[in-house]
Amino acid sequence: MAQISIDGVTKRYGATEVLKRLDLSVAEGEFMVLLGPSGCGKTTLLRMIAGLETPSTGRIMIGGTDVTLTPPAKRDVGMVFQSYALYPHMTVRENIALGLKLRGVTPTEIASRIERVAALVQIAPYLERKPKALSGGQRQRVALARVIAREPSVSLMDEPLSNIDAQLRTVMRAELLRIHRKTGMTTIYVTHDQEEAMGLGDRITVMNFGHVEQIGTPDEIYAHPANAFVARFIGAPRMNLIRLAHRPGANAIEAAGIRAPVPATLGTLPPDLFLGFRGEEARPGAAHDGEAMIEGVVDVVEHLGAQIEVHLRLDDGEEAVFRRPRGETIWREGERASLAIPAAHLHLFNAETGAALRA
Amino acid sequence: MTKHKLLSLGHGLFLGFIALIIIFPFYWMIASSLKTENQIFQLPPVWLFKPHFASYAAAIVNDNILRALLNSLIVTVGAVALGIAVGAPAAYGLARYTFRGSSQIQFWYVTNWMLIPVVVLIPFYLLAANLRMIDNPIVLILIYQTFVVPVVVWLLVDQFRAVPIALEEAALLDGMSKFGIFLRITLPLTVPGITVAAILAGIFAWNDLLYAFILTPGTDARTAPTVMMSYLGGYIIPWGRVMASAVMITGPVVVGGIAINKYIARGLTLGAVK
Repeated sequence: MAQISIDGVTKRYGATEVLKRLDLSVAEGEFMVLLGPSGCGKTTLLRMIAGLETPSTGRIMIGGTDVTLTPPAKRDVGMVFQSYALYPHMTVRENIALGLKLRGVTPTEIASRIERVAALVQIAPYLERKPKALSGGQRQRVALARVIAREPSVSLMDEPLSNIDAQLRTVMRAELLRIHRKTGMTTIYVTHDQEEAMGLGDRITVMNFGHVEQIGTPDEIYAHPANAFVARFIGAPRMNLIRLAHRPGANAIEAAGIRAPVPATLGTLPPDLFLGFRGEEARPGAAHDGEAMIEGVVDVVEHLGAQIEVHLRLDDGEEAVFRRPRGETIWREGERASLAIPAAHLHLFNAETGAALRA
Repeated sequence: MTKHKLLSLGHGLFLGFIALIIIFPFYWMIASSLKTENQIFQLPPVWLFKPHFASYAAAIVNDNILRALLNSLIVTVGAVALGIAVGAPAAYGLARYTFRGSSQIQFWYVTNWMLIPVVVLIPFYLLAANLRMIDNPIVLILIYQTFVVPVVVWLLVDQFRAVPIALEEAALLDGMSKFGIFLRITLPLTVPGITVAAILAGIFAWNDLLYAFILTPGTDARTAPTVMMSYLGGYIIPWGRVMASAVMITGPVVVGGIAINKYIARGLTLGAVK
């Protein structure tokens, strides 16, 4: 049974459709990440689950009850806002206690819950301070504590790590996971950072222009992107997508500087294709049987520290970018080089629809 | 002397001159209130004299200035309290909700401020007379709303808009009612702005002569500015009492203004810089 299910939800503001007949279900205790570029509708979806927005059409169920028109207070959801939204005129303790008081939790129970939560997110020394006197990371923890203390059946997080510096962000990411494992709260987490999504999510919903591009575990999405958008969006450095034309009937792809085997099970290929591969799955040198070969001129070699980034200009003008270990000397700007990619790591997409071609 | 020093000397002289222009009337008012009637008009002015409180005694005993000050206080506090009670929710509604005509309503509030008092005075006088409410402070409290509410709305709409909407949404998720959010989240965060609105409106109400002179002329009901006006009626103007009364009327405003001037500066610039 799904803890949260979203059935055919559409959201329109005037003539603009922000969400288009979206379906999604999140299991009990799952950590689901909504990932997409800004403006893809992920925050709108989160706000609809919270009850801060009402869907134009469709239905939202939490724990088997239809909550589409239920006011936020009656939904049993907690939310961590991007700006934290801590009440500036209240101390940390009061911030956490407010929601409990309003729900009729007894004062002794409130006190013990605050103790527990403060220990969990490590804010015990700051309970009597006002939010103004806290650092970004501490405010973030308080916002989290405020949600956890309420023990809602669903916790929603709207880019909670986007306002803290990169170093602290990695620490907090691990912290979030630890807390999630401990509390087991069903969590929906919005972010535009694919690395954060990969690190946190049990599953990831990749969104774009108000619809779902793919739902899957981080591994599935990384290894088997459903379409060219997901392929480009997931992974850093991003997947190389090389546009090429396919001669109908041929059992291999042949283009200037590219030769790739095509499994017969794929059937008839469209004439306009993207050939995709991740730089880390390619190796330098000539291709063996069943491997794809890509050849071109080394355009630029960038030194990144532990790695170098090589930009390979193919003969028809397309570019492939990949990283190699520092000190590999075979990449010289202006010289020809070739890459071999095992067939298992090749991705083919219909360039017109973007859909992945799978056997 | 360097050019820089010369410049700052000029700067200082200029500021001193401005300060003199502002402070001198206050000095003259206080000094005259402590002089005898003869000393007031001596030329050259008497700079050193023994303070003499007869003018104050006369103002308090003969003109009942303390009663008038109390009336002023009641009317001012009442007008400001009512104006905030009415204006703050109105401003909140305009700040947070967009509805048909909301911007027109906001504009209407602000233009009301520019209303020429005499225009409302005559119909209001007739109304009050027919209701037998002449000399009743409630009449003043009500008519002062014609400028208190616009000031409050004008200042508070921006104050409320500056409160992040996420705070209210968080409170909504915490289970607070919409009115509870207004009262316990938004309002406490706009106290500086409310203070400024209260002061500006309060100064208007405290200083008002026109409405008070017409609507509460009776000896028991009249406000402080009306008493001042009454001095100008006879053949001789009792300057000592005029000045003593003036000190007692402006005193609270000046002291109050200095006490909260930090608030005013903060309130008027609040929201300008996040």
